[in-house]
Amino acid sequence: MFERFQQEARQAVVLAQENARQLRHHHIGTEHILLGLLAQPQSLSARVLDRHGLDHARAMQAVATLMPPQGGDDIDADALETIGIDLSAIKEKIEAAFGPGALDRPARPDRKGRLFGGRHIPFTPRAKKTLELSLREAIHLKHNHIADGHILLGVLREGEGLGARILAEADIDLTTLRQEIVTELG
Amino acid sequence: MSDTAQLASDASSRDPSVGLRAVRALRMLVERLEALQVENAREQGWSWQEIAHCLEVSRQAVHKKYAGGRGLLRREK
Repeated sequence: MFERFQQEARQAVVLAQENARQLRHHHIGTEHILLGLLAQPQSLSARVLDRHGLDHARAMQAVATLMPPQGGDDIDADALETIGIDLSAIKEKIEAAFGPGALDRPARPDRKGRLFGGRHIPFTPRAKKTLELSLREAIHLKHNHIADGHILLGVLREGEGLGARILAEADIDLTTLRQEIVTELG
Repeated sequence: MSDTAQLASDASSRDPSVGLRAVRALRMLVERLEALQVENAREQGWSWQEIAHCLEVSRQAVHKKYAGGRGLLRREK
């Protein structure tokens, strides 16, 4: 499915993960997908949402309020310092090899019971569904690619996640929004 | 040096609460490093046996910890 994603749509998924990491969340939900869209101000979806008064900063605040950071995962850097270990130096080297945040979370078991390292943040079922729905939206509109606009349509179609809730709580009329995106997608 | 580290060296390096806290932090660090490295090794096609050998543990131990035990008949990748 991802091979049909256009640049901004791909980037939205990457940024969703980055936003989840920044917010110290242990999952990537529809709210993070929405943030991933808004984090690209020039994208179709961000421009349409901006017209309705929702930008990345405002959405970020809304997400942080609805879903506080999940703590308890920090390695105690001060304690390590007492035995002469500089955690920041270790982090720097590990992140150079494995990417940002590689040491920020414990390894967790996936659904099959396999552990996987902290650099992966799993998608929630709703977030997965949203991405599948974006494909369906594209097919429905007879588009052979998935743009960021289709992902936003996916968030709306999914309808139950925090992403949709944030849109609704920003007093955006979801039917109007949907029509606007479809028009812009052409 | 951070406040805590300063405190530790000022007060007493034999304070168990300081020492044990350091052990706990170190264990967390090791667990995370191990998971990252095992995952990376598997992605690069290493067998459980090779990983176990490097870690000086049994193949069963590393497999059980990272592959998810699903009975004897579960096929290994």
